[in-house]
Amino acid sequence: MPEDLAEVYRSTYRSLVRFLYRKVWDAERAEDLAQEAFARALVHKPENARGWLFVVAANMARDEARKAARERRHLTLLKSEPDAVHSAPEDEIDAATRRDQVRVALDQLTPRDREALLLWDAGMSYDEIATQTGLARGAIGTTLARARRRLVEAYDTGSEGQHVARG
Amino acid sequence: MSHVDDGALHAYLDGELTPVERAQLEAHIAECPACRTRLEEERALVARAGQLLSLAQPVERPAPPMHQLRRPRLAWRLRVPLTWAASVVLAVGLGYYLGGTNNASRQPGTLASRVTDSLTPVLGHANADRPAPLVAAREPRAANRVAMRRDERADSAAAKAAPETITLQSGVAQSEAQGALRPVTPTPVPSDAIITARPSADVASDRGRLVATQWPIIRPGPARELLGADPVGVPGLAVRNIRRSPAGDVVLVEQTLDSTTVIQVFQERVEERAIERRFAAPPAASQRQRLAETERLARFIGRLRVEIAGPLSADSLNRLLEQLKPIP
Repeated sequence: MPEDLAEVYRSTYRSLVRFLYRKVWDAERAEDLAQEAFARALVHKPENARGWLFVVAANMARDEARKAARERRHLTLLKSEPDAVHSAPEDEIDAATRRDQVRVALDQLTPRDREALLLWDAGMSYDEIATQTGLARGAIGTTLARARRRLVEAYDTGSEGQHVARG
Repeated sequence: MSHVDDGALHAYLDGELTPVERAQLEAHIAECPACRTRLEEERALVARAGQLLSLAQPVERPAPPMHQLRRPRLAWRLRVPLTWAASVVLAVGLGYYLGGTNNASRQPGTLASRVTDSLTPVLGHANADRPAPLVAAREPRAANRVAMRRDERADSAAAKAAPETITLQSGVAQSEAQGALRPVTPTPVPSDAIITARPSADVASDRGRLVATQWPIIRPGPARELLGADPVGVPGLAVRNIRRSPAGDVVLVEQTLDSTTVIQVFQERVEERAIERRFAAPPAASQRQRLAETERLARFIGRLRVEIAGPLSADSLNRLLEQLKPIP
């Protein structure tokens, strides 16, 4: 295997898993997809492996989400959701709740804002994000500023709603 | 200098301004209390957003060694569909007939093209001869996964299928009506499709059908001669045709499950020494061959290497595979 790809694997694997996790919301699946992306990179040997990996990963996550939606429809026909929440310890519930709230908040961003934010959080530079999203480099700061603001606002609004609903 | 916009502040905080831009911004901040305040607000915002994202983080597990990625796996694609198929079978109780045909009919049985390379060990759990350590050696990651999942699957019927360690081939058999209507021109599989099985599924099925429909039909006698043993099939199912590969080394038994479902049982004679040799040193296979390996359900019966294919779920095919017996 090319030396540089091994290096990219070391430096990027976790970021890629994190990036994918926020798209498929399943840790194991995110890992599988990340590994699949690297397996493909081994075959394709792309020049800019890092950027290539994130593009491929984003595409796989999109396909995955479509497929998952289909399967969910099937599954709901067959069985009711297991009521796992009640058996989980308190702090796990909290963590899961907060994660779900972040997820909901992320969903309220525009796809482009969300993508830029997730790429930044995955460790990409403004230049890389610009290449990836097609945005001008000069627009990345503004995009991230907007994405962050919306994320925080949506999260806070969501949490408040939750409190009201609970109270 | 006019006031600094949000984008510049975020770029500054992200360390993404050029040295010149940074110097200009800092000079302005130094003499503009309003922008200083905003900078601190944005700094808090950046921190808060980062913190929120960190709430949505998977549990970090170490990356598997990179060399284990060399074999593209299909486990993740199979897992959910198989679970689903299994639950359909359990819930609806229709036995073999149901399940993820979509998933199961993915990869072709282009046996004709790969017969010479097809002796690579793709035995399922059903073959007791296959030494367990070898599974781990050849499919380290898959083996790990199985180990990880052993608990959850130990008591289920799906446990027997162990889809991650078995390789599947399926989907060749389609209803004859469909097969006859569809064009059977083989389409070149784009290189990208080598590891993205889904896009190539239709192409693949067509190629599989091509093989199935073009092989000459033979009588049981010659089949027995070719194999040096009775051909095997699913007991109790009507044999529709017996065919042989153009090269004459593979026998195909086609059986009808119902009026629209045909099960194909590919079988070939294998020298025992060849089996051992292949086990000991798996040949360097191309990506495509490896994919084929990972999509087949196969086992050895006596000195026959047998693969099963059909528009059924992998679970169902696997159970049929276990039932195979010599047919008179």
